[in-house]
Amino acid sequence: MVKKRRGPSLDELLARPWCYYCERDFDDLKILTLHQKAKHFKCERCGRRLNTAGGLSVHMSQVHKEQLTEIENALPNRVGLDVEIFGMEGIPDDVLQAHHQRVATQFQQAETERQAATGNPPSGASAGGQPAAKKPKLEASSDLKKRLAEHRARRAEGAAGGSSGDATPVGAGQTPGQTPPVSTPTPTPGAYEQSPTASTPATLPTIPVPAPAQQYSYPQPYGGVLAAAPPPQLPYQQPPNLGYPPFSPATAQPVPGVPAYPPAGYPPQPFPGQPGYGAPSPYTPQQHTPTESITPRSGSLPAPSGLPQRPSFGAPSVNAQQMQQMHMGHLPPHPTAAPGYSNGETAQVPPPATDTQSGAAKEAEKPTDGTEKPSKKEKSKPTRMIYSDETTSPEEKMARLARYAFARERFQAETTLGELQGSAVTGTIRDQDTVVDPAH
Amino acid sequence: MSSSNQFILDNPPTDAISALKFSPEADSTRIVVASWDKNVYLYDLRDENGTVGEGKLLQTFEHRAPVLDVCFGNTENEIYTAGLDWDVRKIDINTGQQTVLSSHEAGVRNVVYSREHQIIISGSWDSTLHIHRTDAGTNTESQPVVVPLPSKPFSISLTSTKLVVAMASRSLEIYDLKALAVLTAQADSTSTNGNRVEVEPWQRRESSLKFMTRCVACMPGDTGYASSSIEGRVAVEWFDPSPESQARKYAFKCHRQTSEDGVDVVYPVNALAFHPVHGSFASGGGDGVVALWDGIAKRRIRQYQKYPSSISSVDFSSSGKYLAIAVSPGFEDGKDEVAEGVVKIFVRELSETEAKGKGAK
Repeated sequence: MVKKRRGPSLDELLARPWCYYCERDFDDLKILTLHQKAKHFKCERCGRRLNTAGGLSVHMSQVHKEQLTEIENALPNRVGLDVEIFGMEGIPDDVLQAHHQRVATQFQQAETERQAATGNPPSGASAGGQPAAKKPKLEASSDLKKRLAEHRARRAEGAAGGSSGDATPVGAGQTPGQTPPVSTPTPTPGAYEQSPTASTPATLPTIPVPAPAQQYSYPQPYGGVLAAAPPPQLPYQQPPNLGYPPFSPATAQPVPGVPAYPPAGYPPQPFPGQPGYGAPSPYTPQQHTPTESITPRSGSLPAPSGLPQRPSFGAPSVNAQQMQQMHMGHLPPHPTAAPGYSNGETAQVPPPATDTQSGAAKEAEKPTDGTEKPSKKEKSKPTRMIYSDETTSPEEKMARLARYAFARERFQAETTLGELQGSAVTGTIRDQDTVVDPAH
Repeated sequence: MSSSNQFILDNPPTDAISALKFSPEADSTRIVVASWDKNVYLYDLRDENGTVGEGKLLQTFEHRAPVLDVCFGNTENEIYTAGLDWDVRKIDINTGQQTVLSSHEAGVRNVVYSREHQIIISGSWDSTLHIHRTDAGTNTESQPVVVPLPSKPFSISLTSTKLVVAMASRSLEIYDLKALAVLTAQADSTSTNGNRVEVEPWQRRESSLKFMTRCVACMPGDTGYASSSIEGRVAVEWFDPSPESQARKYAFKCHRQTSEDGVDVVYPVNALAFHPVHGSFASGGGDGVVALWDGIAKRRIRQYQKYPSSISSVDFSSSGKYLAIAVSPGFEDGKDEVAEGVVKIFVRELSETEAKGKGAK
């Protein structure tokens, strides 16, 4: 029921037809083609609407003897005539991918913000399963093994990160932004540290950068939580601990009980290891989404640690977004930064999220009857005036600048500045013949 | 596509542009431009062969101080200028000779010429209008009439019969040009103590806009005018004082952008110009956007892609075939200096219907 109230699902968003030239999305294909004819394929000369850029180009050259050089009203990087677009047809794959990513990240972002605002759990996975749908890419077991191996190697180097494994259950102490969601389902340090890397295709070299950072941050929160968390975990971790030699260095760490934990159910492959939790099904690789991680956790973990964790769970959805980005092969400049356009669009192009807003702004630009309507709209939006001096015009201000100063001979001592101020006194003349709009 | 029928004039002014006007002569493609670099520039869009292309600079006329306004006179060969040196000048383009018509007591912001009544009207920050006869400056008998205004004039515009003066304090006065012309003729003969004459305007109005008036432009049909304010808004109203006509007046928002943080950034609307044939009008804003509007149907006809800086002036050629757009950095709040920016003059060649309204929907 609650999920009904939430906006369109990611799938729905992704399914919306959108315009290649301006990234606007539409309710249906017909409106999109109408939009393209009106906005992008309209002849500037005679107003004729053509179906495609090619058609317009031919029309321009044949009818007006002009060469069409760019598509009107298009984003700066989409003005070219080289792609033949009709509705959704002809959009290059990479652009299409980029668009999907954008929609997805934006969706995640909105979701995150909404969560942050409402404190509700993320609707996505459990409710509509949308994010899951967006993550068809599963980690091959070989990948996982490889990552684990990498991790072990890293671990062997004796980094403090060793404690990260224990931290997983103790996640309550983590700062929300730091935990990639992947880590939540997988209790082992190996899976945790490497998951970002593994989830990103090798083609994305920048992704690994955020990953180490996350690993690094991990131990810190961990230390803080240690005191509270270890006791409940101890019993849990014991048995598996034995079976996991590779992680023994971890045990050497200050907290005896905790390190043992991750190795616990942890055979080389992280996921199979999870069954130790007693909640095997939720831990299948698809379930990177925060929601799912909550369920198994709260159930499987001892109560004391489970409860404090809750608050932090609302937030990790941020990671879900990161996660998403990684899965999508999208390169987030900063892990938590708004996705925005990655294609080099200029600032004047509002990101799709605000499209509706800017659309409204455009609406407002149309002349409207009387001044009432504008003033209504005005109230809804904060405004900032570029120039707000009510008594001195910009030219007068400019005239006061030293480089424009001019002193007339007969007023040697006096600059224009003095004169201007003198003349600033004004009287009201509203009475008498004043013609005033009654509506005012 | 939009670039195919637009070009940039060579040799633009070196500092911000204050005014740009097309020659009123039929089919002329001459443009005069006044600049803060103390010069007035004369361009012709046509080259020697008569083909419109890059446009070329014909002449420059140096002044003592930044020039704030310029207009053509009775012929294409004379122009009037107004500047920060308080002078109103007439310049003979053929000889380059400059004649001071009169001097105000502050910078002169506007100067317009009425062909129908053969008078030159200047508006200055000393809160006066000076009304000159065409022989002012050469004939010592010809003294300008000084009309005191209630506020500093910021923009003036005229039709064949009326003069609209937009001032500070949102006040606006409409004068009957004929009365002013008669007054000026009379003042000549009875030339005494500076000719300061209190003239009752034909109409006094308060601006329809809540903020400082930036620009006013009269409709070519002598029926009304549009005014714009620093707060991204344009008002359209009619001269006819009848309630029916006054009820037709309206205002609308424009030249705004929603910034990233959701704040509506409101730019001043610096320039307005009516299309001489279609009666539509162009607005130029601090946001660097030029839009064409159908003032009757209350619709936007089109909006051109953003220019590199603030639009300081726009004007249509007398044939209505060209739209010249002066781009200069504008003065913004909270800045001591004028922002860096390009100074350029763009000229758009308009298609037959480009500035024509689509009719009410």
